[in-house]
Amino acid sequence: MHPVEVFLTKGGTYFAWIVQGLPETIKVAICAVLFALVFGLVVALVRMTRWRALRLPAVMYVEFFRGTPAFVQLFVIYFGLPDLGYQPSPFQAAIVGLGLNGAAYFSEIYRAGIESIHKGQMEAALTLGMTPIRAMRYIILPQAIRSMLPPITTVAILLLKDTALVFTVGIVEILALSRQLVTETLQSGVVYPMAGAIYLCMTIPMARLSARLERAKQAWQ
Amino acid sequence: MSQLPHIYAENIHRWLPELLHYALYTLHIAWAAFLLAVAIGLVFAILRTSRSQLLRTIASIYIEVARGLPIVVLLFIVYFAPPQYFPGLNWRWLNDYTGAVVGLGIHGGAILAEIFRSGIQALHKGQREAAIALGMTPAKAMAYIILPQALRIVLPPVTNYASGLLKDTALCSLIGVNELMNGAKSIAFAEYQPMAVFLLAAAIYFVMSYPLSIAARYMEIRMSHGR
Repeated sequence: MHPVEVFLTKGGTYFAWIVQGLPETIKVAICAVLFALVFGLVVALVRMTRWRALRLPAVMYVEFFRGTPAFVQLFVIYFGLPDLGYQPSPFQAAIVGLGLNGAAYFSEIYRAGIESIHKGQMEAALTLGMTPIRAMRYIILPQAIRSMLPPITTVAILLLKDTALVFTVGIVEILALSRQLVTETLQSGVVYPMAGAIYLCMTIPMARLSARLERAKQAWQ
Repeated sequence: MSQLPHIYAENIHRWLPELLHYALYTLHIAWAAFLLAVAIGLVFAILRTSRSQLLRTIASIYIEVARGLPIVVLLFIVYFAPPQYFPGLNWRWLNDYTGAVVGLGIHGGAILAEIFRSGIQALHKGQREAAIALGMTPAKAMAYIILPQALRIVLPPVTNYASGLLKDTALCSLIGVNELMNGAKSIAFAEYQPMAVFLLAAAIYFVMSYPLSIAARYMEIRMSHGR
């Protein structure tokens, strides 16, 4: 049977099967993004401290995780960590693997955003008696966040797309179910485009949002 | 972790040459995919800036779809789907290697089309008008006036893309290409040394990809000084 016929007759059944993986995909994506947002901020702050001994590991972390494939990082964590005596669950490996990768990108976005705020503002806040942390919290970050939002959305899209890799460590998400279905039915020509369509329904609106935020930012500047 | 130096000392003379051999194949795929992506990117950047609404729409649909799909899914579609849709055609050319190159090329084409478009649009319209007023055909104006200048603008982001592409080749292992990631997998699991072998593979990816991203950063700084 031609794939188009297959799509017309069995498309609904196939879709119902694949889409069961959607909650898992979304769960992994959201957890990885949250992990990356928090850890990335820690890395960015460490990178901007005065102490060289602290800055150096942060720089190395960022450069290593941005310079190597997320796929390899995932494998180092899932298959490599047991060598050190800890077996992460597939979910832990996926979150930490994608999250550490995303954190490296987020930390650079934070840094660029914070550095885009004039130094005088920090000095003024400190002069007024704020602690550095309060100045960061109430003066610098609220302003920096505007310029950070568009690139943060872009990296979030990247992480969402990277969740398509986590089936390799045993997470049953969209692509894992698609592969199962293909093994059963051999209809890769129908199943994979369908899986692709599900991803597009999420990534295209996010990309539009990112473009809108970018325009809003430029209008603000 | 403390055993790692020991493991490397014992095995690296076997692992490294083998992994480098696979890495060569990775470079091979990346280069072919890069060339294809540049070709696709140029075509779609021109379509995207054309006067015809229809062509612009087609180009932007292609760009949004190819950029929005996870690369793995794109590779699976390119590698598995076409023979099912057109069983009458000859698909012998479509193997894991060509599938990887076409899949990565389609993805890269969309990224480069956007980069090229911003390069073309960054130039003042007057330049094109002046070239045409001087009697150049639109094609000549593009080739001799617009593109050479646009090239300078797009070089940093294109280099950045190339650095990303080298990392993305790791995904081709999922359609069975025997590149660095697949080589690392087979050694790692055959010798029960996943940590050591995957870290070594990561280091090789780093050595291939990092110089390009440094070059891109350097060019960006120089370009911003030029203005």
